[in-house]
Amino acid sequence: MDQNNSLPPYAQGLASPQGAMTPGIPIFSPMMPYGTGLTPQPIQNTNSLSILEEQQRQQQQQQQQQQQQQQQAAAQAPQGASGQTPQLFHSQTLTTTAPLPGTTPLYPSPMTPMTPITPATPASESSGIVPQLQNIVSTVNLGCKLDLKTIALRARNAEYNPKRFAAVIMRIREPRTTALIFSSGKMVCTGAKSEEQSRLAARKYARVVQKLGFPAKFLDFKIQNMVGSCDVKFPIRLEGLVLTHQQFSSYEPELFPGLIYRMIKPRIVLLIFVSGKVVLTGAKVRAEIYEAFENIYPILKGFRKTT
Amino acid sequence: MPGGGRCPDCGSAELVEDAHYSQSQLVCSDCGCVVTEGVLTTTFSDEVNLREVAYSRSTGENEQVSRSQQRGLRRVRDLCRVLQLPSTFEDTAVAYYQKAYQHPGIRAARVQKKEVLVGCCVLITCRQHNWPLTMGTICTLLYADLDMFSGTYMQIVKLLGLDVPSLCLADLVKTYCSSFKLFQASPSMPAKFMEDKEKMLSRTLQLVELADETWLVTGRHPLPVITAAAFLAWQSLQPSARLTCSLARFCKLANVDLPYPASSRLQELLAVLLRMAEQLAWLQVLKLDKRSVVKHISDLLQHRHTLIRKAFREGPSGVEAPAEELWGRGQGQEEVGNGSSDLPKGKRPASPALLLPPCMLKPPKRVCPTPPASTVTGDEDISDSEIEQYLRTPQEVRDFQRAQAAKRAATSSPNPP
Repeated sequence: MDQNNSLPPYAQGLASPQGAMTPGIPIFSPMMPYGTGLTPQPIQNTNSLSILEEQQRQQQQQQQQQQQQQQQAAAQAPQGASGQTPQLFHSQTLTTTAPLPGTTPLYPSPMTPMTPITPATPASESSGIVPQLQNIVSTVNLGCKLDLKTIALRARNAEYNPKRFAAVIMRIREPRTTALIFSSGKMVCTGAKSEEQSRLAARKYARVVQKLGFPAKFLDFKIQNMVGSCDVKFPIRLEGLVLTHQQFSSYEPELFPGLIYRMIKPRIVLLIFVSGKVVLTGAKVRAEIYEAFENIYPILKGFRKTT
Repeated sequence: MPGGGRCPDCGSAELVEDAHYSQSQLVCSDCGCVVTEGVLTTTFSDEVNLREVAYSRSTGENEQVSRSQQRGLRRVRDLCRVLQLPSTFEDTAVAYYQKAYQHPGIRAARVQKKEVLVGCCVLITCRQHNWPLTMGTICTLLYADLDMFSGTYMQIVKLLGLDVPSLCLADLVKTYCSSFKLFQASPSMPAKFMEDKEKMLSRTLQLVELADETWLVTGRHPLPVITAAAFLAWQSLQPSARLTCSLARFCKLANVDLPYPASSRLQELLAVLLRMAEQLAWLQVLKLDKRSVVKHISDLLQHRHTLIRKAFREGPSGVEAPAEELWGRGQGQEEVGNGSSDLPKGKRPASPALLLPPCMLKPPKRVCPTPPASTVTGDEDISDSEIEQYLRTPQEVRDFQRAQAAKRAATSSPNPP
C-alpha cells in the first residue's frame, strides 16, 4: 500500500487549509520506531472509520511528534535506552472532541489537556520508568560444519566437555558474552545488553571460528529472546493482583516468591515481586518490553495503597 | 449382517461384521462366537490395500484404560483416603487425572512424573474446594521432591487451563494449629505447657493477620509465618512459664517439624510488635525488648488496627532512605504533632516507620552500577589483534595436548584390570 501518497484519499475532497495536514507526513512516522500491533494502520485499511476519527488520529500523531521533539530537546536521555523514550500506545486509541471536517485548525492545538486522558506530557500518563535490558539471546548460522575438538584445542577461551554438553562454550570479554557453538555450525550467543552488542559479539565469535580455519559465514542472525528489568519503587500486594487478574497471573508462594504474569498482548511474561521489582522476558524486539511495562504499570499502581 | 449365516453355537441369525483391529471377523452378536475371521497376516500388497493401523495410531488406546492409568487412578483414591478428604473430592481428582492422561505428553511421561501427577490432581481439587493442603504435605506423602512437583504442577495447570485459587490462610492456620499436640496433657509435657485450643487458635489467627498487614506474608511460604505466630500466641497466653521455651523446643513439644525460615519470621514479627508497642502510652515507659514484649501481646492485638496506623506510614513514593527513618526515631518529631503533649519530654513516640516488606527495608547487598549508554552499532570493524588474543599459539597448543595426554594416562592407571 503506498503510504507516500501526497494527500490521503479521504482528504482530497475537503478544503484543507495549508499547513494543517502537511501532505509530506507519512503515517508511519520515523519518530515512532516501535512498530507493533498497536501502531496506527495505514489509511487504506480504514474503510470502516469515519473521516472525523481519521483527522483526530492525524492530529494526535502530530501532537505526539511535537511532544517527541520537545522531549528530545529537553535532553536527559533515559539510562541505558537508545536515547528515545517509548511512545504511548494507549493514547492512540483515545478520542477527544473531534473537529468538524472542513474546519481543521491552522495549527495543531496547544498542549493543554482538556480531558484528563489527553496526554499533555507523556510523564503524566506513562510511568517515566524505562526497563533496562539485561540479557539478549540470539542465534546465527555459521554455514559450515565445525570440528569442535579442533576449536577447543586451538582457542583459548573455549571449553568443551562432550559428555556433559555437545557444544563448545566460548566467551569473549568485549562485549561480555558467552556463545554455544554446535558442530552443525549453528551458534547461540547470550549475555549481551543490547541488540547491537549481541550482533557485534556474534560477529566476533564468527571471526574467531574463521581464524581457526573454518569457512564461517554470518547467516540468519536473529534475536530470540530479550530480558529486561525495572523497579516501580513501591511494594505490591501480590495476593490482590492474583485475585483481580486471575486469568493471567500465577502466584504460588510455596514455590516461588514472585507472581508470574503472562501478558497476551504483547506476548511477554512478567515476574512481579513484592518489592516492586519487575522482570520482563520473552520479547523479540525492545518495543515489546516497553509496551508490556507500560501496560502493567497502571495495574500495579492500583495495588499500591491497600489497607 | 444378515444374509443367510447362522451362528453354529446358538443358531442366531444376528451376525455382525466386526473387525478386531486389522483382522476382519464375523461375530454373533448374541453369544459372541466368532463365526469366521479374515487372515491375520497379510502380504505387502494386501497391506497396501487393507491399510492396517498400528495400535498406537488407532483409538484403541483411548477406549481402554491402560494399566498405568489404572494404577494412577488407584493412587489418587488412596491419597484422598489417606488425607481423609470428603468423597466428592475423590471423584473430582480422578476426573482431573483422567483428563490429564489424555494428553500425549503426560501419557508418555516417566513413572516418577505420573506419581507426582497424582499429588497435583489431589492438590488442585483441594484448592478448588478451599481445603488447606500444602505442597509440602503432599510431597512428604509421595516421597517426591518439591522441584519435580512444582514443574509438574505448573505444567498441568497450564495444560488443563485450570483456575486454581490461592491457599486460604485462615483455614491453613486452623488445620495446622489443630495438628499441634499441645491441647492434651501427656507424660512428656508439663502441665504448664498445655493450652486451650480455641484461645490459641484465635490468637494465632490475629497474629497471622497482623503479619499479613505488615508485609510479612506476601511472597513467602505461609507455614513458617504460621509456626512463628503460633509460638508467640502460645507464649503470650502464659508468659511467666513459657518465656524460657525456645521455638525449637516448642515445635518438638507440639510434635511438629520446625520449618527453617520460622526463626527469621519470628524476629520480624517481634520487630513489628515492638514498633507497635512504642505507640502505646503505658508500654513506652517499660522500654520493652524482644522477650518482654511477649507479655503484652494481648494488649497489642486488642488495639492492633490503630497501632498499625500510628506506628507505620506509607512512604510517599516507596523507599526514601529507610535507614534514615530508623535512626530518625530520636530526632525530628514533627510528625508526632500536638496530641502527645501529655507525655514527658524525651519519651515521645517514635516517628512512624515505613510500612514496607522486609526486602525493601534491608540495604541492598550490592549496588548495581547503571551501565553507560552504549554506542555500539553492531557493524563496527573487528581488529585482528582483538581476535588473536583468543587464539592459542602453536606452543600453547602443544603444551595443552601434552597436558591432556598426561591427564589421560594418570586417570587410566589407578584402575588396573
